[in-house]
Amino acid sequence: MIAGGLPSTATTRFFPGAFLLSNQQNIGTYGTLAEPGPLSAPEKIVLGLGILLAAALFLWRFRPILRNILRSKKDPGFKLSPLGPRIWDFFWEVLCQGKVIRQRPLPGLAHAFVFWGFLAFALVTLNHVATGFGIGFLSPYSLIGRFYFYFAAIWAVLVAVSITGLFIRRFFVRPVWLGRKVSYESGVIALLIFLLMVTYLGAFFVASGSTEVRLLWWAHILTLLAFLPLIPHTKHLHLVLSPVTVFLKNDGYSKIPPLTGDEDFGLVTGKDVTQLISLQTYSCVECGRCTEHCPAANTGKLLNPKEIVLGIRTYLNEFGPASEVPLLTESRIASPDNPPERYLSMEAAFECTTCGSCEFQCPVGIQHLPVIVGLRRGVTNTGVWEDTYGTKLFLALEKNGNALGLSSTERDKFLQRQAFPIFDGTQEYCLWLGCMGGYDPKGREIIADFARVMQYLGTSFGVLKKEKCTGDPARRLGNDLVFQTLAESGLKNFETAKVKKIVAICPHCVRTIATDWREFGIAPEIEHHSEFMARYKDRLPKQQGEKIVYHDPCYLGRYQDVYEEPRAVVEQAGTLVEAPRSRERSFCCGAGGGLAFLGEEKGERVSHVRARELAGTGAQVVGTACPFCNTMFRDALTAVSEAPPQLLDIAQLTARALPASQPSQGPHHSPVTGGAQ
Amino acid sequence: MKIVVAIKQVPERDAPIHIAADGRWIEEGDLNYTINEPDAYALEEALQLKEKQGDAEVVVVSAGPERVQSTLREALAKGADRAIHIECDDLSTRDTLGVAQVLAETIKAESPDLILTGLQSDDLGLGQTGVVLAELLGIPHATIILQVEFSGAGLKVKRELEDGWFQHVEMPLPALLTIQSGGNKLRYATLMGIKKAKTKELKTVLAAEASAAATISMERVYLPEKQKKTEMLTGSPQEIAAKIVEKLKFEVRVI
Ligand code: SF4
Ligand code: SF4
Repeated sequence: MIAGGLPSTATTRFFPGAFLLSNQQNIGTYGTLAEPGPLSAPEKIVLGLGILLAAALFLWRFRPILRNILRSKKDPGFKLSPLGPRIWDFFWEVLCQGKVIRQRPLPGLAHAFVFWGFLAFALVTLNHVATGFGIGFLSPYSLIGRFYFYFAAIWAVLVAVSITGLFIRRFFVRPVWLGRKVSYESGVIALLIFLLMVTYLGAFFVASGSTEVRLLWWAHILTLLAFLPLIPHTKHLHLVLSPVTVFLKNDGYSKIPPLTGDEDFGLVTGKDVTQLISLQTYSCVECGRCTEHCPAANTGKLLNPKEIVLGIRTYLNEFGPASEVPLLTESRIASPDNPPERYLSMEAAFECTTCGSCEFQCPVGIQHLPVIVGLRRGVTNTGVWEDTYGTKLFLALEKNGNALGLSSTERDKFLQRQAFPIFDGTQEYCLWLGCMGGYDPKGREIIADFARVMQYLGTSFGVLKKEKCTGDPARRLGNDLVFQTLAESGLKNFETAKVKKIVAICPHCVRTIATDWREFGIAPEIEHHSEFMARYKDRLPKQQGEKIVYHDPCYLGRYQDVYEEPRAVVEQAGTLVEAPRSRERSFCCGAGGGLAFLGEEKGERVSHVRARELAGTGAQVVGTACPFCNTMFRDALTAVSEAPPQLLDIAQLTARALPASQPSQGPHHSPVTGGAQ
Repeated sequence: MKIVVAIKQVPERDAPIHIAADGRWIEEGDLNYTINEPDAYALEEALQLKEKQGDAEVVVVSAGPERVQSTLREALAKGADRAIHIECDDLSTRDTLGVAQVLAETIKAESPDLILTGLQSDDLGLGQTGVVLAELLGIPHATIILQVEFSGAGLKVKRELEDGWFQHVEMPLPALLTIQSGGNKLRYATLMGIKKAKTKELKTVLAAEASAAATISMERVYLPEKQKKTEMLTGSPQEIAAKIVEKLKFEVRVI
């Protein structure tokens, strides 16, 4: 519920209303809630019929939706347990409106007031209806009743003010994220909510049994009955569905479910849409928070995560969950904003950097990445997706086992030049190079510098003789064949080498090995070099002065919740500066999701937008913690700034202050390391 | 329309090569094998012809020990309809004629309309198997082909010559073509392809005994030997210069 963002109007979950009617016909005093007195028999019949009609209309509109959800494919491997995190998410995201408020404070609070007001009103509403039939249970003359009605009155005022504010925001301020099309329904809903509150509050100023109170009573109940059938229509459905969605959402962030059986290739047609996806798409409140934070949508690409969600919804409404019509089409996109083009677009699906902002931001628990990656799987696993760069990448991974398509002898030569010790089971850590660390010139500098840091700290490590890509780009581009082959050979490689602990400079490697490989076996414990270095932060050289702006990599921050460790390292190396968008709200560098290997972007480059933001902080150094971010910013910083800040990985930031010759491990040390001056 | 693609399995490109103890072949045990690259292009050409033609059948054939089945499966996964494995453990001791004979026997039984092979193999690079095979089958062939098109009852092909020249040739069917790398874009293997490949036929036949005596025999296989010979040129500067020029001209032949 609660979708925060949709502060707009529609926001209720429980129906407000209800005045207290006592059974006896007391003449009330002003200042307490007035009661309408007993209804006549015809009035009761009208009331009863009204309720039946509203309920019937509600069901009539809600049933097809429910049917689509229930008839969708079961989610393979869905488990309700452990309940703890589900209850916590429900408590925090639904009851506390934590996400709604945190990510958009003002409209979020307004939305929360409406929501909490509705909760407070639940009892009042029940009593209101009961009173109509002469069985009211809260009396304004009892202590509890009087207290509760005043309590509800306070909420009524808050709701009325909030809904007015949200109305003004939607119809006059008109934030672009709410969509170009004005939603008149939202206006009607806002009006109904406002009326509900006013008709409740009004009853405090009239006498019990008076005509006025009776009119107010009827106005209130009729508003409520008009409200009910509106709910199942489009986004207002979140009042009913989103608490369920938040509670039931899949565990794990950006989780890509295993394929099941020989016929499962990802999201190919409606038949592959699972119940959870279905439920989620029907819960979308169209708040546009996902789009607001999407690097693709913000740089002129076709992709708009909200439209992906709505595209699936439109598809389900149109074709149903048993349809064999392909979900992705060449280049169309679904949306109420672009009505003539109703389906999902292949172009858009392949513009996603899998940065995960959308999934992180969504206030109703919609998980975009399983859908976006699922759509990619659907066309990649079946060979429908044809892209020169994509094919080149897959062939490189098939043949050379690295994403850069270089011969593995290049890595051997690098190992020799650096005189890296080979992991033989005696060292504490296996240092994982990754494609960037093993083959990319800048990535090699980072690895070499990190190796120096490890040597300085006296930690023993070795590198694997042979290493293949973790399969991250193939995974995110939906090529399960390549991913599975690489994951399996990687697991075997670790096992043969008897590796117990791994450290890596690339957050993509860490995430993929630790989480995505789990489908095929358990990899040894792995950590990111920021975590390793942060543990020894007191022993890292303290450097003064320079302002360093730290960029949170998506795959380290949002994906793995690692925010403090790299900052601890940066703080040793200079003065930490925060970018305008940082931590959970960090803006992508544009490399993720395999996009680093695809062709030129449409519109503005994501990396340029971020580089401008980082350079704009006035810091002398941009600190990164991911070799992909590093490559992306290398060109971007020079392109957007006359005097670009220096660009260094946290390992380089540390290594540059190390004494030139290392104590202890002479042979391991290599002076090459260009980054560390 | 039936298209046969003859495929060779070769060691991976950057595989570390070791010479076998008898010095006559390489150590095969620890090598990873893959499809010969020009053959991958031959397969791609066949698949594209099939896609254009509609009712074609693509049959892949490979001779070698059991391991070549993995390469055949890959070919099935990329879209070939059927595979034939010619079991044969002594491939390395056969010359091109011997290999072509092995292939010819099986391919003849298929009576294909078109046979494609790679221009040459990445390991031995002799570039003869296809041509000898055509000869044995008694059908016309064309080599170093970049483009193939059906035209009427025959073919129109584009051959690569030297120096950026091309030759366009029309020829009748059945025919054999040896395909040059790079004429098409290769496709990537897909999960669906691999799953479908499981249901496709992979037949194993035994290779025939060599019907003709081998014309060549392998004496010694060795890695390129580094030779470093230093020769001091003596004399006056003019004489030395003259000697250098002579050596560059007639020994190294670079000027
Ligand atoms: S999917 Fe996007 S638009 Fe829909 S509720 Fe979530 S954040 Fe809002
Ligand atoms: S993951 Fe990032 S790039 Fe992809 S749709 Fe979501 S916000 Fe946009």
